[in-house]
Amino acid sequence: MFDSEVLLPDLWDILGAVPMTLLMALAIFVFSTIVGSLFAMVEYRRITVLRELVVAYKVAFKGVPMVIVIFLAYYGLPPALQFLAALVGIEFNGHLTPNWVTLIVALTACVAAFQAEVVKGALNSFDTGQADAAYSLGYKRSQLFRRVMLPQVIVAAIPDLANSFMVIMKALSLGFAIEVVDIFAQSQLTAALNFYYLEAFLIAVVIYMVIAYIVTHGADRVEAALRART
Amino acid sequence: MIPELLKALPLTLAITFTAMIVGFCLALIATTFRVRRVPVISHLADLYVSYARSVPVVLQLFVAFYGLPLVVGLLEIEDFVSPTVAAMLGLSFYHGGYLSEVMRPAYLAVDRGQHDAADSLGYTFRQKLTRVLGPQAVHIALPGYGNSIIYLIHNVALVMYIGAADVMATAHLVMERDYNQYQFETYLVLAVIYALLCLAAWLVVRFFELRSSKFAPRAAPAKATIMASV
Repeated sequence: MFDSEVLLPDLWDILGAVPMTLLMALAIFVFSTIVGSLFAMVEYRRITVLRELVVAYKVAFKGVPMVIVIFLAYYGLPPALQFLAALVGIEFNGHLTPNWVTLIVALTACVAAFQAEVVKGALNSFDTGQADAAYSLGYKRSQLFRRVMLPQVIVAAIPDLANSFMVIMKALSLGFAIEVVDIFAQSQLTAALNFYYLEAFLIAVVIYMVIAYIVTHGADRVEAALRART
Repeated sequence: MIPELLKALPLTLAITFTAMIVGFCLALIATTFRVRRVPVISHLADLYVSYARSVPVVLQLFVAFYGLPLVVGLLEIEDFVSPTVAAMLGLSFYHGGYLSEVMRPAYLAVDRGQHDAADSLGYTFRQKLTRVLGPQAVHIALPGYGNSIIYLIHNVALVMYIGAADVMATAHLVMERDYNQYQFETYLVLAVIYALLCLAAWLVVRFFELRSSKFAPRAAPAKATIMASV
């Protein structure tokens, strides 16, 4: 039942999808970190109306499974884009939106809610005594942020950021429902060609675990190196 | 449409509760071995937890779906693996691994002095756990446990891919019967259903959280894992 001869050709096939997956994960990671940081700043600075909106956003996107968000984006995003383009006066067929764009938008929306939480936690870990010290030394607010706060906040956030990168990697596997090919989808396609399902899936499992190992240990290294400097 | 979807809810709930119970037992076993460091078994437990945490849940479900018949065949039991059973077991494995990563930090977060005091009084591991550490760790672990339940509910939405007839699968049938006219609306309804399930789970956990905080001393607030889990 279990055939080890197909393992090697399958491995090459599935490895081919790794760069694309990593690239998409990186894009989502960058976008969601930017959006999440904006959300976190809104909460940290306590801006009145926006703050409630951010909380509502977080509750909505944490309560709904990601598959459903992806499907909602798949059916809702093209008409929405077309409508927006029509408002500005551009002729644009929304249904030409590539599926990977839809996936990136949907996952960015989901992960941003969690990234906001990560950045907020890192901001809260900042010792306000240092802010007082910086002000007493005549730092401006922007200087305080850039020279004192940011270096410490980034280091504090590294483990959580590594974790969220892995979550994005895993979330991309849901993209196979809307025909975006990542590691998992590639393993399914490979298996469909020769009917050795379990073998292909086990290879995908190994690839995911190796990537997770590399990401977490890399993050540990980076954190240790940065902590020594600050 | 909604009554039809609700008719499939018992199966979704059955899968959720099975995964909750079996996953809890698995997590207890895995956590015990991970904190006690028995030579080989502890490494296996580590491997299991990193499998459950770094591999996408869809892939875990597929591995369970194609792998369980093989295991059952090797043990020479009659094949009982239906998509529902595979979904239950696959999610149990996932939930167990995730929960172990909630329990172990909670166990370690109990004040070091309490460990030492219990050891110096000659408590056995089991006595130490049930009389000293357990009650305190429960209080610390509850927020993380609530999160893990919510993610479990999210991930039950994925079991349709291996063919279990849960709410999502029923929704797909309903959509296809209506010639795929109301896809966006159907997914909105699904989003609301899952959000309500999560809300119910959160309220239950919240009730216990408030109750346990009455009995536990003011412990340091535990850092619950805030990242999603797919």
